Amino acid sequence: MKARAEKIREIAKRLLQEGKVDVVIGYARGASPMREQPFFARTPEEAGQLTWSSFCVGNTAKFLVQAAGAGERAGVVAQGCASRNVVGLIVEKQVARDKVVVIGVPCLGMVDSRKVEARIARSEGRRVESVAEEGEELVVRGRGFEKRLKRKELLRDNCFTCQHRNPVLADEMAAEPTAATGGGDIDTVAAPWEKLPAADRWASFRETFTDCIRCYACRDACPLCYCKTCFVDDAKPQWLGKTQDVTDVASFHLMRAFHCAGRCTDCGACESACPQGIKVRRLTSKIEKDIRSLYSYEAGMGLDAIPPMTTFRADDSDDFIKQGGAQ
Amino acid sequence: MSECTEHSGFRPRIAAFFCNWCTYGGADLAGVNRLKYPADFRVVRLPCTGRMNPEFVLHAFRQGVDGVWVSGCHPGDCHYIAGNMYARRRFTILKELLEYAGLDPGRLHFSWISSAEAEKFQRTAVDVIEAVRALGPVNAANVAAKTMVMELRKVI
Amino acid sequence: MITACKILGKDVFEDFFRNLANGREVFAPVQLTGKIVWGPIGGAADVDFSLDNTDMSPKEFFFPQSECLMRFKNTEGEGGRVMVPAPPLATQRVLLNIRPCDAAAFRLLDRIFMQDERTDDLYWLDKREKTILVGLGCVNPCPECFCTATGCGPFHEEGLDILLTDLGDRLFVKPLSGRGQALVADLPDAGPQDVSLAGDVAAAAAALVQRPAGFEPKKLAGRDVLDIYNLPLWPRLSETCLNCGTCTFVCPTCHCFDIQDEVKGEAGRRVRNWDTCMQRLFTEHASGHNPRGEKRDRVRQRFMHKFTYIPMRRDGELGCVGCGRCVRFCPTNIDVREVVRRMCENVEAISK
Repeated sequence: MKARAEKIREIAKRLLQEGKVDVVIGYARGASPMREQPFFARTPEEAGQLTWSSFCVGNTAKFLVQAAGAGERAGVVAQGCASRNVVGLIVEKQVARDKVVVIGVPCLGMVDSRKVEARIARSEGRRVESVAEEGEELVVRGRGFEKRLKRKELLRDNCFTCQHRNPVLADEMAAEPTAATGGGDIDTVAAPWEKLPAADRWASFRETFTDCIRCYACRDACPLCYCKTCFVDDAKPQWLGKTQDVTDVASFHLMRAFHCAGRCTDCGACESACPQGIKVRRLTSKIEKDIRSLYSYEAGMGLDAIPPMTTFRADDSDDFIKQGGAQ
Repeated sequence: MSECTEHSGFRPRIAAFFCNWCTYGGADLAGVNRLKYPADFRVVRLPCTGRMNPEFVLHAFRQGVDGVWVSGCHPGDCHYIAGNMYARRRFTILKELLEYAGLDPGRLHFSWISSAEAEKFQRTAVDVIEAVRALGPVNAANVAAKTMVMELRKVI
Repeated sequence: MITACKILGKDVFEDFFRNLANGREVFAPVQLTGKIVWGPIGGAADVDFSLDNTDMSPKEFFFPQSECLMRFKNTEGEGGRVMVPAPPLATQRVLLNIRPCDAAAFRLLDRIFMQDERTDDLYWLDKREKTILVGLGCVNPCPECFCTATGCGPFHEEGLDILLTDLGDRLFVKPLSGRGQALVADLPDAGPQDVSLAGDVAAAAAALVQRPAGFEPKKLAGRDVLDIYNLPLWPRLSETCLNCGTCTFVCPTCHCFDIQDEVKGEAGRRVRNWDTCMQRLFTEHASGHNPRGEKRDRVRQRFMHKFTYIPMRRDGELGCVGCGRCVRFCPTNIDVREVVRRMCENVEAISK
């Protein structure tokens, strides 16, 4: 990780010195344990604050639309999933290819801080105060304790089944490419409720989203959500209420998931951002699984790709559509 | 099958979204030919199924319908050339998503019916209504657990 | 008259609990998988004194996220044209083991929701009057806490009816109000050793709270508002904010809301929901004009509201109690302590 961080700093510094970009969007040391925070480096000196670790749990592509709006050329530090979102934003014409410089980072997976906390007995008043990475170990320290944990066991769920750890688009690379996937099979874990009988699925949906406080952190951390007016704020007609009624909470998540169809890269920023630890991907993984099986498509894999919801084929499946009968 | 059967007891409420050029015309022709079916759906006329927004379907359930039926031109016959082709993918993803989250199969229906297919319109109408009717009232006293359609209803 | 402090052995806590729960609903922090939340307590055995502060603040007890204010009918004739306010709380409640920071936050919110008799928020008032706050001093402050720097502290007494100090096998009990006094009247008096030990525990805890370097909000007091408003640091500080609203929702002092009528046919209800100044829609006018249309404006507003505007109107009292939740839950880990530090630093530079 340290080597990656150093290389990122070096590349960013050079890009800023040479005036190739106005800003480099990456991560800097976070204010809390197990968190790095997004950081905008605007000078070669500030580039010195960039870092990389197993705690970069956001998605830097999120900030590109903002940079594009300000007319800035942006460097962006991006691992596999984030680089796919960069491609997606270019394909959706929100960002110009020539205004982005991708500093690609082959990714070894990000740690889920909640999994680390679960290993520390919080109920005994033990709070994590710092976590250091030493190779494949995490050294977790708090008041009166130190524990060594295996990094690989504590990765975020989506990192285990990541299919593209290496950047798919990169102008510069911060390290040699790594193993392409996280090892797990996405199609066995995606859409978990498919295994349930129909009658039990709603209960699972309810249980998953029962703690939602409508803070919209999931939406606002997601690089796909850049609408000037989100459907949530439409007033004529008002599609859903702002209350905590089950229908209002459910409508938000169902519609947002739908809007991500064929665009989501399973980066996990939504789950990492959620203050209630909601497993949003139990819902969103279903859509991308269908997109893969029905239209053989993965978001953000090529600048020339045509997003599946913006096109069609004459032989698209439609068995569920009634059209038979004597003709 | 040109006469509908008597329906007593539960009458479902279904929101139907028809494209103006094909299915709406087909429904019209069914009327002209006096083909009968239960009056259990209310039609919202769209220029094309390509106009369908997933929010329309959710909105209908929020307002309290028991089922939703969307119908348009056959692929290849769309008045706007390809509106229904885009819609087809949206319908696929939406139906999969809603039924994955727990919507009873049988509440969300899609069909392609042309303006000449009056009898097919009648048959499909009867099928859709029967499928929704068979699921029974949403808030029946004997319903064991809360269902999605029950909880999607906005209760003021 | 508040009299002596009391002592309560944990072995006899059950009797005290039964008294507390007599005719009242008791709530306390409980551990769920991965988080600590406020939950109803059925018996003394469910009370855990070792837990940290809850993830979400307890402000929902007085200011629910979604609250029906009234129902109305708009029909002609018999039974029509009525507005029926939501019923008051049926039973009294106890918030057991609430942290001093959260209790202090409610006192600040009292000054906002109950400004004078003619305009008191009756929904807030009803719930406040019917809820007893039994606080638990923080023996083990969290890494993100900075309460001592905001005029609060791990054993701060403001807003509590009783303050408990955990001495291991027993609790040191300090009544702070008439209601608190009544609840502990039957407990044995604390001895001088207990008093001294409790004092040591409180002092040790206060020392453990991290004092963020350069965090001196008093330096902002008395400055011209425009000096702070026009600081060039705001665009840079707001770059990484997602404007989501998480900070405002987890914060115990944030209190903005939106009221909407939900109508179906001729009947409806008026609902109050939490709202957040972090969203663009918050200040959008019907004309389309938006005084805080830029992200920089909204981010600046949040910090100035807590550290400048509220102190200006409340005799220097800060709008922040230092609980640290916003630092912990911000998806981009923006740190309020760092923001205020830079505000202070930059404002000082102006006068030089």
